[in-house]
Amino acid sequence: MDRVDATARYTAVNGDDKPSLLVVILDTNPFAWSRLSDSLPLQTALSHVLLFINAHLAFSHANRVAVIASHTNSATFLYPTPPSPASPENPDGIDATEDLGDPYRDANKYRPFSQVETAVHKNLQRLLSSTTPDSLAFLTAHNGGGETMMAGALSLALTYISKTCSASSLMSDPVSGPAPGASLDPTNPSAGTGVGGGDMTGRIMVISVSGDLASQYVAVMNSIFAAQRARVPIDIAKISGDTVFLQQASDSTGGVYMQLERPQALLQYLLSCFMPDPATRRHLIPPNQVNVDFRAACFCHKRVVDIGFVCSICLSNRIKTTRNILHFTVLTHTSHTHIYDILPTPNHTTIDLQTPPLPHFSWPITLPKALTFFFKKKTTIQTIH
Amino acid sequence: MSSTIRGFDDYLESLPPITFRRLYQQPATTLAIFRRMLPNLAKVFVTTLLYNETPIPQADLEVWARPESSREREDALGKLRRLFIIKEENGQISLDPAFKKNFRLALTGGGDHHSFGVPVRTPEKKKIDLQFLDQYAAKQFDTILHFMVQTASNVHPSEGVKHLLVTSGLMERHGGRSEPTITQNGFSFLLQAGNAQIWVLLIQYLEMSETLGMEKTDVLHFLLMLGSLDLGRAYAVETLTQTQKSMLADLRDYGVVYQRKTTSDCFYPTRLATTLTSDSSGLRSVSESFNAALTVHDPSASTTIPPAPSSLGPVEKGFIMIETNYRIYAYTSSPLQIAVLDLFCNLSSRFPNFVTGKLSRRSIQSAIKLGITADQIIDYLRTHAHVQMRKISVLVLPPTVVDQIRLWEIEGERMKTTTGYLFKEFATVMDWEETRRYAEELGVLRWAGKEQRMLFVTRHEGVADWLKRRAVKLQQQQQMLAAKKAAGT
Repeated sequence: MDRVDATARYTAVNGDDKPSLLVVILDTNPFAWSRLSDSLPLQTALSHVLLFINAHLAFSHANRVAVIASHTNSATFLYPTPPSPASPENPDGIDATEDLGDPYRDANKYRPFSQVETAVHKNLQRLLSSTTPDSLAFLTAHNGGGETMMAGALSLALTYISKTCSASSLMSDPVSGPAPGASLDPTNPSAGTGVGGGDMTGRIMVISVSGDLASQYVAVMNSIFAAQRARVPIDIAKISGDTVFLQQASDSTGGVYMQLERPQALLQYLLSCFMPDPATRRHLIPPNQVNVDFRAACFCHKRVVDIGFVCSICLSNRIKTTRNILHFTVLTHTSHTHIYDILPTPNHTTIDLQTPPLPHFSWPITLPKALTFFFKKKTTIQTIH
Repeated sequence: MSSTIRGFDDYLESLPPITFRRLYQQPATTLAIFRRMLPNLAKVFVTTLLYNETPIPQADLEVWARPESSREREDALGKLRRLFIIKEENGQISLDPAFKKNFRLALTGGGDHHSFGVPVRTPEKKKIDLQFLDQYAAKQFDTILHFMVQTASNVHPSEGVKHLLVTSGLMERHGGRSEPTITQNGFSFLLQAGNAQIWVLLIQYLEMSETLGMEKTDVLHFLLMLGSLDLGRAYAVETLTQTQKSMLADLRDYGVVYQRKTTSDCFYPTRLATTLTSDSSGLRSVSESFNAALTVHDPSASTTIPPAPSSLGPVEKGFIMIETNYRIYAYTSSPLQIAVLDLFCNLSSRFPNFVTGKLSRRSIQSAIKLGITADQIIDYLRTHAHVQMRKISVLVLPPTVVDQIRLWEIEGERMKTTTGYLFKEFATVMDWEETRRYAEELGVLRWAGKEQRMLFVTRHEGVADWLKRRAVKLQQQQQMLAAKKAAGT
């Protein structure tokens, strides 16, 4: 009678083969790509990424994909094509002319692959042609052109994952079932026959080429913590440049961080290190993580610092570069009063006085390793009314 | 449901290497086999090897997997070996060249093979919509199922289908009676999910096709290609081979494809076809679309109501409720579903839209006498459980009922038989011990006798492979030792 084992019932429940949603964030900063044009032109990199996406889609019928471009000043979806009010007659982003292609040529390619490819190419083309030299010149003058809208892209990715995964688990609601004809619609995450009832697992894959993100410190960190909470691993393929925060992103979410020593071999990196989905990764030893740089950026100058000061109440961290310290007291709207060491620069005092220094910055209960720099609290607290 | 999918696995693995070599000539087939047949870990191994021009040492691949996942690793590698996807030479692993070439083509979309079906640009005069295709598929398949349980005497599938049912052993002809009757296998067939049932028929068809002089690889290519086609699209007939054209007629009878006329120059795959190579989450939608279609096509139900579009979507809508006191309430009026329930359940009363019954020791054991296993019953109940049951617990079925069904089954069997393979005549205890450990890791070991130096395993391929590789390794070591000795003297 011991053959009827109660534990057997539970092992059957946690299925290993959940479909997975992959969101690829492609850094499209033109400055960085032009520097890379000798070793890895954007066109080649794009074809590698598309092949990687195809391989992901080949894993399972139910696997889904989204591609987001993190451009110099904006983050936009490359696939699925966001519905634009200008072209309501073409909602799924498939060019009407695409259907007029040679059917024999068409037969050489699995349809979902070609849909993704066409959409990504077209939208990237549109994005790049909308980037004028003027706007780039403005950016160069402003911050050296090293910027990319990573924080925006990460938030887009997270919202998309959250929407898609919750949509697939709500499939028992008959209203949300796809209408007839929906299986040809790539914008509908529940399109086709794949997503049935079960959950999806999401993950983010960042192809990063540009450098510093310090100016988006808070936004990036918030995205990272949101990803950590939602158990969305963030994988980073670093082709060039160096960012502190993306290392922390992959470290705290359990993703893979790889500095590509040979950018030409991007495809091989993608297909071997970044291919396995979270469920399969349990069986594999991840590629070695380099020493993670846990430094943070100060809130006042957006500069990465080795030593900073943390306000014990709102947990914002500040820089201290001079011995000449003004004790300044700020009244926030939550009516707690706290003291900072603040640089005696005039624009500083105005910022701090007018806007409360990020009172709603939500820090997770488990303090991240990001705070391994020195803590130094002020012991005297004055109250001014 | 998984038992028959394994059926297709076993069928594929029984094919000789030469057939695989021919199968891998088509990119669509490599894609379907990659997607359908391999565990996820094996897929990762394949993508890793795909763009490696030089073979990589097997040891590298093995250290990549965590030590505690060695069973998954061996499972993945064993699968790849049995499907002849990887080649091993002197401890180096590489992909089969044909598979590599054509899988690359499948991913990049290059080449000139047309293996993903040639779509027809000029649609026929009458627009074929998804709803129509679903109804058509359901009607055709329904006819077969109804014929098997003989719920309605006026349904008659084509002669080809009848022949298939008889040769597959799902039905048998008795002496002078012209109409075949259902067998024990047929009963367990009825309890499977829609997609699994289709595969049972198609595997039988594959086996039958050889006797009809059809090219087996052609048939397999076509079946696996169907899975990558788009639902609701027309595809050209003219690019198909002669064998495949003649298959169309049969597949039309099963409801897998639709053609407007037998001479029509295009065909439409139905949902049955496009989900052939998808995984279990795709299966449900099929069984669901059946449930939906069954209620629609049921003669006793009002036929004027068009099927709601959402009911054809991937929504699992079951109809069976089970209480912990073994009572069953099934919200169905389909004679087919009721006949299936009647196999293992004492039905007590029937209402316009539902039937009630009770599971009992006698009803379960009479089902088991018919050759149905407890697992099949449990699977069936779980797949068709009512939405409300899913909301209550992730286990879906009450654990007491599940256990009791199993216990009732065990009561009848004092002895359990396992088919498997005996390894004997190990030269040394060490050989025996190492092999035993390996078989245990693989999870195939059933019994081991130390005194007799024998092992009994459920699958022999992995162990035999391992023994062969081990023999080669030992031989090499001995040669090296001998060479050293010779150098020393």
